[in-house]
Amino acid sequence: MSETRRAPVLGSLAALVYLFLYAPILVLVAFSFNQSRLTAEWKGFTLEWYARLLSSPQIRMSLGNSLVVALVTTVVATAIGTAAALALARGRLRRPGSLMALIALPIVVPEIVLASSLLLFFAALGLRLGFLTVILAHVAFCVSYVVVVVRARLAGLDPSLEEAAADLGAGPWRTFLKVTLPGLAPGILSAALLVFALSIDDYVVTSFVAGVGSTTLPIQIYSMVRSGVTPEINAVSTLLLVATALLLLSAHQLERGARARVAAAPALLGLAVLGAPFVAGTGAAPAERVLNVYIWSNYIAPETVRKFEQRHGVRVNVDLYDTNEALLAKIQAGNAAYDVVCPSNYSIQILRAQDLLLPLDHTALPHRVNLEPALLDKPYDPGNRYSMPYFWGTCGIGYDRRRTGPVDSWDALWDKRFAGRILMLDDARETIGAALKRRGRSLNATDEGWLRDAQRQLIDQKPLVRVYDSGSFDAALLSGDVWLAQGWSGQLAKVREENPDLEYVVPKEGSSLFVDSLAIPRSAPHPELAHAFLDFVMEAEIAAEICRTMQYSTPNRAAVALLPPEITRNPAIFPPPDVLRRVELIEDIGDATVLYDRLWTEVKAER
Amino acid sequence: MTHARSRRTAALLLLLPCLLVLLALFLAPQALVFEASLGRRSAYGGVVHEWSAANYARAAEPLYLGILARSVGLAAVTTCACLVIGLPVAYWLARHAPERHRNGLLVLMILPFWTSFLVRMYAWVFLLRSEGLVNVGLGALGLPGLSLLYNDFAVLLGQVYGELPFMILPLFVSLEKLDRSLLEAAADLGATPLRALLRVTLPLIRPGIVAGCVLVFVPSLGAYLAPDLLGGARTVYAGSLIQSQFAVARDMPFGAALSFVLSLIVLALLLLFRRPLQAAQEA
Repeated sequence: MSETRRAPVLGSLAALVYLFLYAPILVLVAFSFNQSRLTAEWKGFTLEWYARLLSSPQIRMSLGNSLVVALVTTVVATAIGTAAALALARGRLRRPGSLMALIALPIVVPEIVLASSLLLFFAALGLRLGFLTVILAHVAFCVSYVVVVVRARLAGLDPSLEEAAADLGAGPWRTFLKVTLPGLAPGILSAALLVFALSIDDYVVTSFVAGVGSTTLPIQIYSMVRSGVTPEINAVSTLLLVATALLLLSAHQLERGARARVAAAPALLGLAVLGAPFVAGTGAAPAERVLNVYIWSNYIAPETVRKFEQRHGVRVNVDLYDTNEALLAKIQAGNAAYDVVCPSNYSIQILRAQDLLLPLDHTALPHRVNLEPALLDKPYDPGNRYSMPYFWGTCGIGYDRRRTGPVDSWDALWDKRFAGRILMLDDARETIGAALKRRGRSLNATDEGWLRDAQRQLIDQKPLVRVYDSGSFDAALLSGDVWLAQGWSGQLAKVREENPDLEYVVPKEGSSLFVDSLAIPRSAPHPELAHAFLDFVMEAEIAAEICRTMQYSTPNRAAVALLPPEITRNPAIFPPPDVLRRVELIEDIGDATVLYDRLWTEVKAER
Repeated sequence: MTHARSRRTAALLLLLPCLLVLLALFLAPQALVFEASLGRRSAYGGVVHEWSAANYARAAEPLYLGILARSVGLAAVTTCACLVIGLPVAYWLARHAPERHRNGLLVLMILPFWTSFLVRMYAWVFLLRSEGLVNVGLGALGLPGLSLLYNDFAVLLGQVYGELPFMILPLFVSLEKLDRSLLEAAADLGATPLRALLRVTLPLIRPGIVAGCVLVFVPSLGAYLAPDLLGGARTVYAGSLIQSQFAVARDMPFGAALSFVLSLIVLALLLLFRRPLQAAQEA
């Protein structure tokens, strides 16, 4: 077609847009082969992350779950939405306009509201969270997109063609199949592509309505990102892209009339990559008894889980969350069947107050003698009747000592010499807490005057702050973008491996302490097995293995002797003893939470 | 006429599954949330079901209204940018791209969206940061580095990146079925290409433009990833504000009230632009 060649400007603009869309993809693919653990600098080529994918049942399972959910959602939502679009465009309905407005409404509602409304609704129905609830929720938010896209196509298709077919004696079905559908096909294809994209990348809604065994890839990714964008995430994204691209390529070849044999090669390759998670996933022996664990990402190694499975002849489901609040929402809704959960200290306080935790049977937990007494019997759980500490950590400052010199005070984050090189957490409790500590006050203060003073400090500080970020402060520090970062010890412990000049300090004025503990929900289906699991992870060798692979501070005294010196000497993992004396647990402050949130919102709204 | 009636019955049957999904999985849950928005937060983050309009009064305070207004502004700018960039690209795809590759190109447009948006946002952070790939490239060319990250430019870039295909797809769908002979007729009658575009093409693809604008504008209102990750969370937008009510403050009643205010703003805007929207539907 001659017209094809006559548009150099449009053509190059389109090429630029494609480059724009693929620029981050290229980065992601490149970094899946990078030796460094963080997407911050290039350290050399490796295939290690792909090998790790193969050995991680967790990622394979979530990838498999995502594919199943996205495929089912695409088929169901596209069918329902196309039918509705047809009815609206051709049905001579009385008020298509208001019906259309109703159908478009779900697009208007923020995802988080949709998510919590669905969780409330499923809980009210008593529907157990799992695949069914995830797929129902996905269909609910995808249908509207299908109707909008397909209708845009139908609106311009000439109905006279259909009428002509009918006049020529074609029945309604025949007319539909031979005239309407072919004309509609591009619209349906676009809609299906959109739905697949929306479903496979949905995080907010899924994290609220997923249950035992239905952790999807985005949930996996979000909870992994909590400890930095790891190359494993890049590797699994690359595989997914390559596989779908291969499948689409063969579809494209078929469409262009290539012989089935030619088209089959890429299709088979793509299917092999996509099918791998399912095949490899069946390796685990089906067991009668299961234990459902709901925990932070990177908190338990697959080897540890396997050992427990072998010892007790059970199967362990590990599902992930990335905020305490997601955990709270699900336990409070009461329709998720988890046996072991890992809330942080203040969440235990909340769950306990609502009587949602099972009192522990201490006689079934003999290994609790291994735990560090300084981390036991805290106000959030006196006598540890409901929880056993699993990991702990502090909030502090990570800094590049070559650029800042020694740092020992929160004042460094208010130092004008470091303007534009400071990162603060995007977290009301930790930022206001740091400002309170700077004045020697408790970070659980509820006195409005003190809080206003803390807010004033944060507003004064804002021009110095480059970025507020609770997720990837470690990468920002490592890349050199910031020189000082408020952050949590677990992640900042790991950046030292990549750059020994990056130090971690708990400021002398004091800071926050968190204790993530294992607990058993009152609704747990397998409380006995849950006790066995709690005791298992308190065994010295197991606790040492967990600490070695995850590199968070272990509360297990007996495990310390079994750890290599590079871990016990890392001050971010094993801080000097005086640190524990100057940190304070973040407590749930009840109604004052609203005040904190408001003050923080005002800081952020300041321009 | 029985034909018309049977036709209407068939249409209702076709609509039924969609209406059921909306009723059971959208309206009923939203009703629960609306009820919650009238209550207040309990000490432990639950809902006390004592009805009042207090949350709506709070949402109308200047602090929160300002945040909502800024979000509407961002969504509007995002929509305009997507339309300006998306229209020529969709036009090229529909009219100039080699026909045998057309579907392939369309799929390539959406393919990046099958990987995590979060991960792609982090890739942008890597590209844009002060020692990032873009600045390193500029440095290699002897050009001064640019401050590309953690500002309004970065937020807009992330927003356009996330929404562009949602504009291009409906535009493409409308353009592709546009009757070529109409343009040829316009040319034969002496219309310049620009005039043909303004007088023939644009009016004819109005449904696509409207669909694209709605699909971009509305989700942009609730966006939070680009403002937080690329903007460095230095400014609050409605998406992050509502998100934090549910996920951090555990103040569901207030979060729900904010969300209904946001929905009302959208409905008001749709009403305001009712005329062009209706005209588009009739086209």
